Amino acid sequence: MILRIARSRQGGKITHYDLYKVQFEKGMSILDVLFQVQDRMDPSLSFRYSCRGAVCGSCGMLINKMPRLACRTQPETVMDESMNLQDFPPIMGRPEGWDPEKEILIEPLPNLPILKDLVVDMTAFYAALEELRLWAEPAEGEKARNQKPDQRDKIRRYLNCIMCALCYGSCPINHESAEYLGPAALAKAWRFYDDSRTPNADRYLKDALKPNGAPMCELIMNCVRACPKGVAPGGAIRKIKSHDKE
Amino acid sequence: MVYEHDVLVVGAGLSGLRTAIELSDEYDVAVLTKVHPLRSHSVAAQGGINASLGEDDSWEAHAFDTVKGADYLADQDAVEVLTKNATSAVIENEHWGTAFSRKGDGSLAQRPFGGAMFPRTCYAADRTGHNLLHTTFEQALRKAVKIYSEWFVTSLVADKDGIFGLTAFSLATGQVDGFCSSAVVLATGGFGRVFGKSTNAIINTGDGCALALNSGVPLKDMEFVQFHPTTLFGSNILMTEGARGEGGHLKNSEGKRFMEDYAPDQMELAPRDIVARAIRTEIREGRGVENEYVHLDVRHLGETKIKERLPGIREICIHFAGLDPIEEPIPVQPGQHYSMGGIDCDKEGTTKLPGLFAVGETSCMSVHGANRLGGNSLLETLVFGHVVGKRVGEYLENQRRRSNKEVEEAVFDIRQNLQSLVMREEGELMSSVRMEMNAVMDEKAGVFRNEEDLQQALAEIRDLGQRFDRAALGQTDERFNYALIRALELKNMLDIAEVIVLGAIHRKESRGAHWREDYPERNDTDYLKHTLVTKEDDELKVSYSPVTLGQFEVKERSY
Repeated sequence: MILRIARSRQGGKITHYDLYKVQFEKGMSILDVLFQVQDRMDPSLSFRYSCRGAVCGSCGMLINKMPRLACRTQPETVMDESMNLQDFPPIMGRPEGWDPEKEILIEPLPNLPILKDLVVDMTAFYAALEELRLWAEPAEGEKARNQKPDQRDKIRRYLNCIMCALCYGSCPINHESAEYLGPAALAKAWRFYDDSRTPNADRYLKDALKPNGAPMCELIMNCVRACPKGVAPGGAIRKIKSHDKE
Repeated sequence: MVYEHDVLVVGAGLSGLRTAIELSDEYDVAVLTKVHPLRSHSVAAQGGINASLGEDDSWEAHAFDTVKGADYLADQDAVEVLTKNATSAVIENEHWGTAFSRKGDGSLAQRPFGGAMFPRTCYAADRTGHNLLHTTFEQALRKAVKIYSEWFVTSLVADKDGIFGLTAFSLATGQVDGFCSSAVVLATGGFGRVFGKSTNAIINTGDGCALALNSGVPLKDMEFVQFHPTTLFGSNILMTEGARGEGGHLKNSEGKRFMEDYAPDQMELAPRDIVARAIRTEIREGRGVENEYVHLDVRHLGETKIKERLPGIREICIHFAGLDPIEEPIPVQPGQHYSMGGIDCDKEGTTKLPGLFAVGETSCMSVHGANRLGGNSLLETLVFGHVVGKRVGEYLENQRRRSNKEVEEAVFDIRQNLQSLVMREEGELMSSVRMEMNAVMDEKAGVFRNEEDLQQALAEIRDLGQRFDRAALGQTDERFNYALIRALELKNMLDIAEVIVLGAIHRKESRGAHWREDYPERNDTDYLKHTLVTKEDDELKVSYSPVTLGQFEVKERSY
């Protein structure tokens, strides 16, 4: 199996692609073969990793032009799959020389500045969490608050977000506009707004409706297709937008 | 450049963040993490967090289960702190926003867990650590805790009178800088990646333990390594004990629920050390599937319950093993999971080096003794993050900042060391040394141990240490030099592996997770005590310290 990996020593932009022939065994993930490259062929290759079990959200990258977690992607299946994303420049076209029949193409996650190779600058992605103040004001009292299972069910899918930024990297609006807060942060705002325990819920909605928030979303829904955890941020944004009209 | 703060916390998992939050109102606290806080391994904890919320339950009952589960090696005063504060720790995180799973009436749901006589494990589906870590990180953001992400700590700077600070290098720039502070809290988690088959994140390399060891602080009970009974065959990703708590069965190749031969009362919900040994025994005696694993069968729980209570497990099985547990049994085998041992400290995290504190999995207070119960590690992070944070605050009240000179000098030395490591472009691959270490530890210091294997392991680990000194990074870049990080982690792990094996050789008994085939009985006369390993003049010295007993009498342990 051959990997075609985007390289960027100084960051900023992809300068070239390196080809590596890796040994593949059943059950291996893209992350496993990236380690094979770093361990045995090219220690200068940089990429982020941690849990290798699709829960820490470190290893988001573009694999065959699809935003994916490297640890959860099997090389044997990625060749035939498509996410049916709406096109935007970083996921369109083919780098010169790429043969999709023979090589797996690995590039950094779009829409965030490249720092080195597959490592991108997540500052803007994390900053949105602070800009929207995505935390709860601690409740008072001696006891846990009450929340019925059906109340929890309303926010359940949003709780599953691992902040991997695949949604951010798949979003054509994030590509065009650096100021757009992005799908993950907005879905999290809805998670607090729709949590039956939140006393000051309106502030999350109000913040999410800032001009650089939900109003910028055009409901393209690439985020829903790219999300590895079934969070479907686009659904939350649609609900936030519906409150805009009221 | 030298950064200055009142206190530095190393590690941004649950323990580190909770400690920092405790200190943030009164002190200038900064957290250093080699990743981003949300990528810490706390995020991977699945099953839950124990608290005696039930009307018929009590902290004493929780404490008893913990001490018995620990095979009586836990310090009972520390266990008291853990279990008395469990309820408030869970409620605090609920108040911070964690959406725990609920009973029909809206109160916190609790599930049965191994070794517990009461269903006292609170949970958020099977993603409890993920929910707690994201919530706790949110609160750290709310408190505007200063976080240095992607900084790897290279040394502690101290003399016999205490801490001056530390040195660290920034992954983004490759630059080594100094951090001066009056106190340092190590909260770096476990060292599971010393072993090859481990549920742990790749980043769990015991950096805090190695920092302490190399500063002359003893490591305690390092031979007690927990092997989780149910890790997914192949990738060794955790299959939560919650799967058995919800009623899942373990079956051998004959389809028999073999736990009836090992723990007839508790069956699949016996403590982890007992279930892990049972599975290994079944495999060794030829009743494993493909001689490698047994089956964790949850099919009888039904689709609805599996989707509601075990969605994470199902997702992992689908994506990492290509099977749906609603339709097929899950292939599982034991794998390294948790480090009961750690930095020797008291129940407030105080180590013997003034100004150095430890908390969470990297510490050993000891609340888990020879075997940790499921649901007690998340609890430890939150309870002791609070307790240690308070203690550090009291310590800081009486401290004047010491000079920066020592840290600046240490930075100069570390720069030279790293430079010479990076310059070594010719030699054996670092990854070969790491893989051999993993194989030695899996094969010779795993679930079953004996003198001959352990002695061989010790010789091999020492040899690998020498090979490390000649191994090469190859050609790397200064910025985002992950090969350098992995080399420094490997050095830390080799140090720790030697301590684990040494402790295991000296403990000639079987207790909890430490099982000696040549000494199959527990020996309270000689070994009801903590192992301490200290590095003095580059030599490891083994000594012992007493266990703090208390209201629970030491008894035979059966389930």
